[in-house]
Amino acid sequence: MLSLGPLAFTAPWLLVALVAVPLLWWLLRVTPPAPLRVRFPAVRLLFGLVAPNETTAKTPPWLIALRLLLATLAIVALAHPLWRPQAPVIGTGALVLVIDDGWAAAPDWPLRQAALDGVLAHAERGDRPVLLLTTAPDDRDGKVAAKGMMGAAEARAVVRALAPKPWSVDRARAREALRDVTIAGAASVLWLSDGLEDGGSASLVSRLMELGPLTVQIAPPGPGPFVLLPPASRTRDLELVVRRLGDAGTSLSAWVRASGEDGRLLGRGEVVFAEGEDAASATLALPAELRNRIARLDIEDERSAAAAVLLDERWRRRPVGLVSGAPIERDQPLLSDVYFAHRALEPITTLRQAELAELLEDPPAVIVFGDVAKVPGPDRPALDVWLEAGGVLVRFAGPRFAEAADDLVPVTLRGGGRTIGGAMSWEKPARLLPFGDASPFFGLAIPKDVLVARQVLAEPNLDLPDKTWAQLEDGTSLVTAERRGQGWLILVHTTANTAWSNLALSGLFVEMLQRLIELSAGVPADGSGAPLPPLTVLDGFGVLGTPPSSAQPIAADAFAEATSSPASPPGYWGSKAGPRTLNLGPRVAETPALDALPDAAAVTTYGVVEERDLLPWLAAAAILLGLVELLASLLARGQLLRRASAVAAATLALLVLAAASAEAVDDAEILAAIDDLHLAYVMTGNPEVDRISAAGLFGLGTILRSRTSVEPADPIGIDLESDELVFFPMVYWPITLDQSELSDYARAKVDHYLRTGGILVLDTRDPEASLAGGARSGNLALRRLLAGLSIPPLIPVPPDHVLTRAFYLIDELPGRWIGDQVWIEQGDGGINDGVSSIVIGSHDWAAAWAMDARLQPLLPVVPGGERQREMAYRFGVNLVMYAATGNYKTDAVHVPAILERLGE
Amino acid sequence: MAVTQANFRQRAEQLAAHLPPLLVAAERVAAVVAQGVHGRRRVGAGETFWQFRPYHPGDEVNRIDWRQTAKSTRVLVRENEWEAAESVWLWHDTSASMRFASHPAVEDKADRARLLLLALAVLLVRGGEHVALLGHDRRAATGRGTLARMTAALTRDDGPGASLPPRIPLPRYAQLVIIGDLLSPIEDIAATIRHFSGQKVRGHLFQILDPAEETLPFAGHTLFEGLEDEGVLLARRAEDLRRDYTRRMAAHRDAIAGLTRAARWRLGLHHTDQPAQAALLSLYMSMAGHASG
Repeated sequence: MLSLGPLAFTAPWLLVALVAVPLLWWLLRVTPPAPLRVRFPAVRLLFGLVAPNETTAKTPPWLIALRLLLATLAIVALAHPLWRPQAPVIGTGALVLVIDDGWAAAPDWPLRQAALDGVLAHAERGDRPVLLLTTAPDDRDGKVAAKGMMGAAEARAVVRALAPKPWSVDRARAREALRDVTIAGAASVLWLSDGLEDGGSASLVSRLMELGPLTVQIAPPGPGPFVLLPPASRTRDLELVVRRLGDAGTSLSAWVRASGEDGRLLGRGEVVFAEGEDAASATLALPAELRNRIARLDIEDERSAAAAVLLDERWRRRPVGLVSGAPIERDQPLLSDVYFAHRALEPITTLRQAELAELLEDPPAVIVFGDVAKVPGPDRPALDVWLEAGGVLVRFAGPRFAEAADDLVPVTLRGGGRTIGGAMSWEKPARLLPFGDASPFFGLAIPKDVLVARQVLAEPNLDLPDKTWAQLEDGTSLVTAERRGQGWLILVHTTANTAWSNLALSGLFVEMLQRLIELSAGVPADGSGAPLPPLTVLDGFGVLGTPPSSAQPIAADAFAEATSSPASPPGYWGSKAGPRTLNLGPRVAETPALDALPDAAAVTTYGVVEERDLLPWLAAAAILLGLVELLASLLARGQLLRRASAVAAATLALLVLAAASAEAVDDAEILAAIDDLHLAYVMTGNPEVDRISAAGLFGLGTILRSRTSVEPADPIGIDLESDELVFFPMVYWPITLDQSELSDYARAKVDHYLRTGGILVLDTRDPEASLAGGARSGNLALRRLLAGLSIPPLIPVPPDHVLTRAFYLIDELPGRWIGDQVWIEQGDGGINDGVSSIVIGSHDWAAAWAMDARLQPLLPVVPGGERQREMAYRFGVNLVMYAATGNYKTDAVHVPAILERLGE
Repeated sequence: MAVTQANFRQRAEQLAAHLPPLLVAAERVAAVVAQGVHGRRRVGAGETFWQFRPYHPGDEVNRIDWRQTAKSTRVLVRENEWEAAESVWLWHDTSASMRFASHPAVEDKADRARLLLLALAVLLVRGGEHVALLGHDRRAATGRGTLARMTAALTRDDGPGASLPPRIPLPRYAQLVIIGDLLSPIEDIAATIRHFSGQKVRGHLFQILDPAEETLPFAGHTLFEGLEDEGVLLARRAEDLRRDYTRRMAAHRDAIAGLTRAARWRLGLHHTDQPAQAALLSLYMSMAGHASG
């Protein structure tokens, strides 16, 4: 490659040909243009004439200049010039390529790959060995390994297969990987950086500069990469927070899209970055049903793992139904049995307060009963079904409940309530014990001031401890629960208001309700320490896929702190029923920009300047100039006008080149074929036969017009190879000996025509060559032409066939000849409703029908008589009727029988 | 071939339909001219009354002139004069040089000549004249059959023929129409005219030229080739030849005009980019002129 500033030539040696240009100039100057040959009758008068100005014809200087320019252009174009070739010319010797392939490289990965490809293409031309180092760790220990010396072609293949990782780069490890690398001879280093700091870049840079002169390629300045943070979970609307890690100088907006598990778009929200701000937020308000279907959030047009957030159950809002035991208390809200539950649930769920029957019509995920003593009998079956199917029923005790509880409780209850520390008791109201680790409340902090003054008591049973989720200090149960099918039946042994306890006033009440609601979608209630295996994980571009082999199960208690790494890529973890999500965004949202690089390192950007291949432009210019030259030289020879057609042809050729893809659809022909009913005949290539066919169908059309309501327009001759058949109800095909066989294409077309209801009338035009007549020439031609068509079995036309009844009642089917059999498809109820798709005869019908323009018959009929011609016309009318109406007239065949029966 | 023949004939008929029947003046003795247009002074088939004569047994009854019979005591039969038509001999140039058209939109000279010839024949036949193709027909005849035969002869492609008519004897006082480009050497043309005028044949020369032959519109380095193997001529700048060429062409035509004047023949000129009607009218005028002159 030869470089001249921003211009480079791929094949510079071709420029040597420029030396030949002056030679060309000399040749052009001395060689006059070739004479134009003119055939001229009066040449005799020209002999002896001598033009007064018989000097040598010189090509005009401007034309020579034009031609020289043309030659120069062609040579330069062949040298394949590139404008600002993208691959920078980097040093000499071995090439050390350090590639940041962390998540931040993903958004402009194609540009990076293009840049790398350019560099490696250059290295390949220079036959330089390449050392490849990707800085993102790629095994489970987080080690970074250099890919040793390889050829540039091999490196190209490796680079093409590279993909960004959904975690951050680890440059300290990268430096480790380079520690023992020694390169014999000169080397140059190219670091394709993602522009973010990870704390180890300074040491890596110093190591790289030890290896050779360092060039750092970074992305052109821009706001990216963007990071999407997971929204806070316990709010009614989704709070979208987007951070930009790049240039925060300008204001811009980005869109965040929310999509469901099936990828369907559920909502979009616009976040607007103010000038100078690196974070922006927006609220995505969606109906609860939609909101619960959201499985993932993405920043639009940002393909990276950090721009995608996967949502799990924590973000789902489950509808909750609330049933109060005492509607009368509504006007005293603080005394209502469900007031506090209502307040606690409203921000975190979609809440409906109604009668149970109404709720069960559209069952919510969770139903909370206030102080409801008995479930209304008619609702009980529906409630049981709902419970079995996975509903969560949370009951609170209360005065009414204590008096007459029904049997829909997890544990057996003692009659009446128990008052602790009331006026009649010396006991103090009891506190809660810390939650056991089998309880869904495990881990919730218990405020000291939560006291329970009254409760309902469970009968002590063997299974009571297993069913107890919360206990008071004295060991009595406060919350008991029982599995009912897929669902849970939960009893809180105290009230949901302040009558029996101040639990409802505490934050613990809200958290406990939250935990209970989380039960409803099958989130494992036990916070057991079973490690969470990876289910599906994001790749660097934010696309879900199977986990890499490096992914390891994460301990449940360590899940909240897990960072994105080869062992724990972002994605879905845990069980399929209740997966939990690990998102990259929060882990990388605070990544700072890359530290300043040492002065010795050259910093370039990739992807800014598009390499421009000048070859097409130069070639186009050369072609245009060539055309101009053609015109100009014709002009110079004074033959521009006489050669107008040649010029037109050249221009046309250019236009054809330009519009090479334009389709040539002959709509006009199709329209002409379907504007009216046309009788069609197959053009045999024999002009005499074709003329008779046309005249015959013209004659038949004339007869049809005058006698029937069929009014065919002019007959159309069709070429089976090129024309479409489907527009014609009937195609007349005279067989000649010299017809060439059908191509496969035409055969398929004819087959299709026959299958779709067309009728083919084949005429061997020679009674000698009848079908029954064995191997006669016309017969053979017929067989040859029909070979490969799916022709059904044939029979002679039966005497009562509809072909003899369709319009006229006829006995014979004569044409120019008479007496031979006419063959049709065998059997009724065939593919076309029993209508024969093929009629084969030898009577030369068209010859009998043929009329000239004055409606006079063209050919005599044999043995003769106008009666035979009339019968031929009648057969033609019947044939067209048959083609047009099918077996419609079949009934007419039976008319005599019907009439006979009617007469009796 | 049948189709083209019909087409050709049809075009010629259409062309001739615009002109009244051309009555060729019979160039006969002055006395005859004074007597009438075509009368042969003999009993025969004709429209003009010639004489009454007594009825002889055997005469057809419908020939009896009942009015004259009633005036006299004899039964009289009406006899008409035998009207004989002029014989006109037609010839056109079929040489290779006629197969030339400088532009695709222009008909070539041979086609135009043929068309004019047949149109003229149509006019003549319609006027009752006897026509014949010089070189094809032994004798002149009239009627649509003649036209059909003539059409067939004209549309038959016999390959290139001669530039000038064969010098064969013609009936005296016949008229001869020669249509061609008349680019042959002036001596040949002079010999032809001498031959026919010596037989007291009245001739009409009709020159058909392509516009390019008149103006030599070529320019630049040009190699001129004859169509009849006359040879080639290379011109550096064809436009420089133009002035001399047109002068020479004019001289050639003047020479022909001189020859025809001397023989009391007529000379017409037609260019193929002009409509054929104009040419036919000009021919018509030329022949009518002979009739009056």
